[in-house]
Amino acid sequence: MSNITQIKRFLIEEFLPDVTPEQLADDHDLLSDGVIDSLGVLKLIAWVEDHFSLPVDDTDLDPNNFRSVAAIDAFITERRAAASATVGG
Amino acid sequence: MTTHATGTATTAAATGTAAAGAATATTAADGDAATAAAEAALAPLPLPDAFTAHARTRPNAPALLWHERTVSYGELAALADAERERLAALDLAPGEPVGLLAVKSPEAVALVLACLMERRPFLLPSPQLAPALLAALFAQAGARRLLTPRGQDTPALPALAHAAPRPTLAAGTSFMLTTSGSTDLPKIVPLAQGAVDRFTAWAHDTFDLGPGRVVANYAPLNFDLALLDVWATLAAGGTCLLIDPAHALNARHLLAELTHHRPHVMQAVPLAWALLLQAAGTTALDSVEHAAFTGDAIDARTLAALPALLPAARLYNIYGCTETNDSFLHRLDRLDAAAALPVPIGRPLPGVRTLIATPDGTPLDGPGSGELYVSTPFQAAGYLDRSRDTGRFTTQPEGAGAGRRWFRTGDLVTRDEHGRVHLTGRSDFQVKVRGVAVNTAEIERVLLTHPEVLEAAVAAASDPLTGKRLHAAVQRTPGSTLNTLTLREHLARNLPRAAVPEKLAIHDEPLPKTATGKIDRKAVLPTP
Repeated sequence: MSNITQIKRFLIEEFLPDVTPEQLADDHDLLSDGVIDSLGVLKLIAWVEDHFSLPVDDTDLDPNNFRSVAAIDAFITERRAAASATVGG
Repeated sequence: MTTHATGTATTAAATGTAAAGAATATTAADGDAATAAAEAALAPLPLPDAFTAHARTRPNAPALLWHERTVSYGELAALADAERERLAALDLAPGEPVGLLAVKSPEAVALVLACLMERRPFLLPSPQLAPALLAALFAQAGARRLLTPRGQDTPALPALAHAAPRPTLAAGTSFMLTTSGSTDLPKIVPLAQGAVDRFTAWAHDTFDLGPGRVVANYAPLNFDLALLDVWATLAAGGTCLLIDPAHALNARHLLAELTHHRPHVMQAVPLAWALLLQAAGTTALDSVEHAAFTGDAIDARTLAALPALLPAARLYNIYGCTETNDSFLHRLDRLDAAAALPVPIGRPLPGVRTLIATPDGTPLDGPGSGELYVSTPFQAAGYLDRSRDTGRFTTQPEGAGAGRRWFRTGDLVTRDEHGRVHLTGRSDFQVKVRGVAVNTAEIERVLLTHPEVLEAAVAAASDPLTGKRLHAAVQRTPGSTLNTLTLREHLARNLPRAAVPEKLAIHDEPLPKTATGKIDRKAVLPTP
């Protein structure tokens, strides 16, 4: 299962129970229309840390990293690459 | 009409607010009498006298239509005379009010007419209120004796622990209506017969309610809308089609009554028009010449469909409060009935003075926004419980014309460069979410501009974290696949972020309603 599918499934379960994955566009701005508020961002970060076993630093807490499904996916991909680079280096 | 209103205002100026309620009202009534003498030809006949004259000169003319029954003016006068005897048998003190617990019917109309003919003040609350609330209201009005229309059961009301002191009613008090009281005990609004007569004269001038005309009455009798539909029609000699409140939410019944009896005039809350459209299909109500909606904001879909339902009608948005009666009228251009929402409330009625106060309390000149104050020829002098006048009936703001008695509506409005007034929200619907002031009525209006939204309600719940948490509920159109995501996008496009409700609920069923047919906002909140 791609990151995108998992991210959408989490977002729908948690915040958008009446929406299907097809209706949630990858670039939908989740912050501007209040799908995710500040508490929601914290919930989302906890899920990313837990689900992908990725530590999220305070410096990563830029809301723009969590603005859309695509942004979350990009953030996860980037943090994974950075983590394996550190391990590999 | 303008001179009439000026006369009243001058008297109010001389009296000032410090005077006791009864004194103010008496002096105002004297002022009215003086003005009436000066304009004898224009002075409207008191409603009971006008009704009696119709019954005498045209006894066979239809006064009421009720299901399959037609009640003529003569028959209605005979019913009213019988009720006058019942009233006389109560042995009330002069000026002592009577309590009416009246569900709409020809018999209920006769009972009210009897009170009007006897110049007997009467409290007419919603019969749907809880018994304890009704008992408290009757006690507050000083109504020791209750009457119900013939054929209607008399409910048992709980006795009050403490007898309330008898209020002093101003001379000439007739109807005592109640505010909708969404939060606490409804306020009692005593109306002088003169104020009612000035209103019925305006209504007849504007919509022609006289002989040969049929006027549909959708609202319950206790609702201020009935002053136009029922009472102005009976004063003018027309025929009132009474819609049975027991079937008022049955769209097919409503449509059948209207297609059968072919009214010329109909005023109703947007809910009624939306119901009609549900049942109408391609049926058109081509008899209707004047169609008014009032009492609530109309949704885009209902508004857009009205011209087809009412091909021969002029469409109006009427704005008024129980305390002042109607004060604004906007006639819609049929061609752009679907254009901008919200519909403007338009311009003040003849004799109505309006004032828009900016947040610092100064009156606004020209275009701009602020809170609406009105002063109408039809208004109450104050609430029955004068302690509740504070902040509502006022001579403020400063510079508004010395001594004129204004009613502070609580409605936030914008006046455009054409002098038309638009509602933008309620001052008491202002809440703070994360420190940002948002207006829940404005959010409702934005929700209603979505083409797939039929009804909307927004309410705020206290939240220790954010101050207030907004909950919204909508009813979507039949077959709509509207979801919270698309509705959120719509809100975010039109509102600041803090005003986008945290909880959105989308329903296929109509939202819960209050006894007066307005959406019950409290029902949107989660049960504690």
